[in-house]
Amino acid sequence: MYQKNQLLLPDIGLTMNMKKKFSKQIFLLPLLFLFAAESFAGFREMQDQAGRTVQVPDNPQRVVALAPSVTEIIFALEQEKRLAGVTRFSDYPPRAQQWPKVGSYIQLDLEKIVALKPDLCIAVKDGNPIEVVSRLEDFGIPVYAVNPVNLQTVMEAIRNIGNLLRADAQAQFLSAQMEKRMNQIKKLTAEIPHKPGVFFQIGINPIVAVGKDSFLHELILTAGGRNLSEGDIPYPRFSQEQVLALSPEIIIITSMARGKIFQQVKKDWEKWPDMPAVKNGRIHIVDSDVLDRPGPRMVEGLEYLFRLFHPKAAGK
Amino acid sequence: MIPAVSAENLSCALDRKRILDSLSFSVFQGDFFILIGPNGSGKTTLMKVLTGILNAEGELRIQGKSVKDFRRRELARKIAFVPQQISDDFPFTVRETVIMGRSPRMGMLGIETQTDKDMADQVMEFTAVAHLADRHLNRISGGELQRVFIARALCQEPEILLLDEPTAFLDLAHQIQIMDMLETLRKEKNLTIVMVSHDINLAAMYGTRLMLMKQGKIVCTGTPEEVLTFSTLEQVYGCVVLVDKNPLGNFPRIVPVPGRFVHRKILSSD
Amino acid sequence: MPDIVKRIAAVSFLLLLILVAAGLLGLSLGSSQSLPTVLEYFLSGGEKDPMLANIIWRIRLPRVILAALAGSVLSLGGLVFQALLRNPLAEPYILGISGGSAIGAILGILMGLARFPGVCLCAFAGSLLTLLLVVVMGSGRAALKKDSLLLSGVMINAFCSSVITFLLSLSQDSRIHNILFWLMGDLSLPDLKQSGVLALLVFPCFVLIFCLSHIMNLLLSGREMARTMGVNTGAVMLVLLICTSLMVSATVSYCGLLGFVGLVMPHLLRMILGPDHRVLVPACILGGGAYMILCDILARTLPEQGEMPTGVITAIIGAPLFIFLLRRSKK
Repeated sequence: MYQKNQLLLPDIGLTMNMKKKFSKQIFLLPLLFLFAAESFAGFREMQDQAGRTVQVPDNPQRVVALAPSVTEIIFALEQEKRLAGVTRFSDYPPRAQQWPKVGSYIQLDLEKIVALKPDLCIAVKDGNPIEVVSRLEDFGIPVYAVNPVNLQTVMEAIRNIGNLLRADAQAQFLSAQMEKRMNQIKKLTAEIPHKPGVFFQIGINPIVAVGKDSFLHELILTAGGRNLSEGDIPYPRFSQEQVLALSPEIIIITSMARGKIFQQVKKDWEKWPDMPAVKNGRIHIVDSDVLDRPGPRMVEGLEYLFRLFHPKAAGK
Repeated sequence: MIPAVSAENLSCALDRKRILDSLSFSVFQGDFFILIGPNGSGKTTLMKVLTGILNAEGELRIQGKSVKDFRRRELARKIAFVPQQISDDFPFTVRETVIMGRSPRMGMLGIETQTDKDMADQVMEFTAVAHLADRHLNRISGGELQRVFIARALCQEPEILLLDEPTAFLDLAHQIQIMDMLETLRKEKNLTIVMVSHDINLAAMYGTRLMLMKQGKIVCTGTPEEVLTFSTLEQVYGCVVLVDKNPLGNFPRIVPVPGRFVHRKILSSD
Repeated sequence: MPDIVKRIAAVSFLLLLILVAAGLLGLSLGSSQSLPTVLEYFLSGGEKDPMLANIIWRIRLPRVILAALAGSVLSLGGLVFQALLRNPLAEPYILGISGGSAIGAILGILMGLARFPGVCLCAFAGSLLTLLLVVVMGSGRAALKKDSLLLSGVMINAFCSSVITFLLSLSQDSRIHNILFWLMGDLSLPDLKQSGVLALLVFPCFVLIFCLSHIMNLLLSGREMARTMGVNTGAVMLVLLICTSLMVSATVSYCGLLGFVGLVMPHLLRMILGPDHRVLVPACILGGGAYMILCDILARTLPEQGEMPTGVITAIIGAPLFIFLLRRSKK
C-alpha cells in the first residue's frame, strides 16, 4: 500500500519536467516514468550493521559497492542492474570488472563516486576509511555499512543488502542455501574426533597468521581444524621458529602469494622434514578471494578447507 | 676628552678558556688604532667584543656610554664592522649589498628612501666600486669584494669603523689601496678606525696607535715607535726580527730574520 | 614608490596570476570529469548540474586550497632554512624536520587524537625536537659545513623513518595502510574546514616571515654581521625557526611528507628573481602554491585507477634537482 502511494505521487510533476529535457526522445518516456518515479521515491530509515541509523532510498537505483565482497553479494542477489560502480579489485564475477571503478576499497576516489551520482553506497565497516564515509554523507549520499565479521554476520549482511535492494526473496534463498551447506559441514565435522592443527599463513614476509578475532579463525574451526595461531591479536606475526614449535599438521597459505612465490614458501617449509605438515605433504594453497571476502563464496571456501582438513570424510 | 672606545678590565671566556684577560685601553676620536699580536693572542675575539657580537665581563664604553645601555640598532649606527671573510653563497648585487648597510637606519623591511640611495652611490664612488654596482658579489675580485664591504660599513655612517684583517687575502697593490682609503677616511671624516692586522709593517706605516697583545693580555700600547721595538717583538713573537727606521718616514721597519741568518749570527757572536 | 616595493608588487601580481591559473586548472581536472565539461559548467554559469558543482566546489576546491597551502608552506620553509643555515641545500624534508613531525603525527594518530589540534600539536612537538637536534648539530664548535649538515639531516631522516617503521610494526592498527599512504604525501579528502584551519594556522606565519624578510637578507652575510647591523639575531632566528616548524608540522599533519618542495621552488625563484628575501618570500608563497597544485594535478590524473600520493610526484621532480644542486655546489 505504502509503496503504491509513493509511486503515484511524483507522476504529475515529473513527467513535465522530464519532457522538457528529453522532448525528442518520446519513445523513452515509459522507461523514464519508471526511472523518475523510482528516483523520487521516498526514503526509509534503516539500522546498518555498524549500528548507525541511515536514511536509505526505498528503491535504490544507483548503488556504489565500496568493497569487492559487497559487489559479489549484489551480483549473487542478481541486483547488478542497480550497480553504478565498484572498487578496483572487484573481479568476481568476472563481468563485474566492466563496471566503472571508484578506486580501491582502502583508497577510495571520492570524486569518482560523486560523479557516478549514486543514491546509495554500501560500505564495509572494517576497511573503508571512515573519513570517506563521512564525506560522502556530507554530499547527501547515504552510506549503508555492513560489518561481516563471521559466518553469521555474512549471512546477515546478505539479508540486509537484499532488504536494501528489494531482493528479499533472493537473499533469503541465498542465505538459506549457505546455511544449509554450512550446517552440513558442521554435521560432518561433529562426527570427526581428530581436529588437525592448522597454521593459516596469510602473510609471507613477515609471516602473518590469524588470531581468534578474525574471520578465518571461525572458518578453520567450522571446517574442523584447530587454529594454532589463535590469540588476542587478530593478525599476529610469527617467526619461523615459533611456527616450528607449533608443529602444525597442516599449513595453509593464501594465494596472495601466487605461483612461484607459493612454491618458494612451500620449499622453505620443506626444509623441516620433521614438521608433521611437511612429513605428510599437507602444505596447501587456497584462493584468498574465496576465504578473505566475506561474501557468498565463503561457503565454497569453507567446503574447500573441510576437504583439505578431512579428505577421507569429504570423500564420502 | 671622552675616548671613542674605552675598556676597563675587559675579560672574555669561551668554553671556560680565558681568551681576554682584563684588558684596559682607550681609543680616541680620529685614531687609527691597530691591534697586532701573534696567533691566538685574542685580537679577533676582542674585535668581536667591540662589535657587540660577543659579550664580555668588565666595562666597555662607546663615547662614554656603556654598551649595555645601547640598543642594538643604536649601537649599529655608531659602529660598523668589516669582516675578514665574506660569504657569497647567496649572491646579491654590489648595490644591494652596500645599501644593506643602511639597515640600522631603515624600517624593518629595509625599504630605501632617496637619501639611502644617494648615500650608497656616494660611498660606492668613494670606495671605487660604483662601476660594479650591478654585478653580483661572486663575479668580482677579492679586492673589490673587500671594498664593497667597506662601502657597506660606510653606508652605515658610523663614527667608529672596525675591521678584521681587511687586507689578509689581498695582493700588495690592493693592500695599499685599501689602507690608503682608510687613511683618507680617517683624515677627511675624522673617523675612528680600529683594525686587526697581521702585517706589522702595514701597522707601522698607517697606525697612529698600536696595541700589541699576547695570550689575551695587552703587552703594550702606544705609537708604532714605542711598541715596535725588537726586544718586545722578539719576546712576543718568539722569533728574531730586525727593526730599523723606515726610509719612507718616521716609523719603524720590521724584517723577520730567516733561520739560516740567525744561525750564522749565533755562530759569529760565539 | 621605492623600487623594491614596485618589484615586490610586480612579482607578486605575476605569480598570483599563475597561482590562480593553476588553481583553475586544478578545479577543472580530476579523476572523473574532463576539462570541457567543467568549462561548459563555468560558461553556463553553473547551477545546472548539482553533481558537477559538488565535485568542483566541495571535492576539488578544498584539495586545491590544501595543495596551495602545503606548497606555500614547504617552499617558504625551505627558503627560511636556507637563509638561516646559510646552506642552499637546506629543506624541511632533507633536514629531517618533516620526518620529526611525521613521528609526532603518527603518535598522535595512534593515540586516537583528532587531526586538529591533537595530531598537529604532536607533530609540532616532533618537529621542534628534530629542529633542536639539527640546530645543535649545525652550530657545534666545529662549525659544521654544508656537507656535514646534510649528513646529519640524512641521519635524522634515517632515524625518523626507522622510528616510524618501529611504531607501525608495534601497532596492530587497521589504519596502517592509510598512514602509509599519508606518509608519502596525501592530499586527498580534505574538506573546506580542514583547509580553513590550516590556512588560519599558517597565514600569521606568512606575515611574520615576510616582516622578517629583510633581516633574512642581513643574516645571509652571517649571523655576526647581522648583529653588527643592529639585528637581534637570537630572537629573530628563534621566531623564524618556531614559525617555520609550526607551519611545516601543521602541513605534515594534514598532508604527510611532501619532499623536496622546499628545494625546487626557492631555487627556481632565486635563479629568476635574485636573492632578495623581500621578493622571495611572497614569491615562494605564491609560486610554491602553484607548483604544488600542478604536482597534485599530476597525482590525481596520471594513474588511470585510483590515485598516487602527491609526495611521489614532488620527490620524482625534486630529488634529481637536489643531486644536480649538490654537484654544482661542490664545484
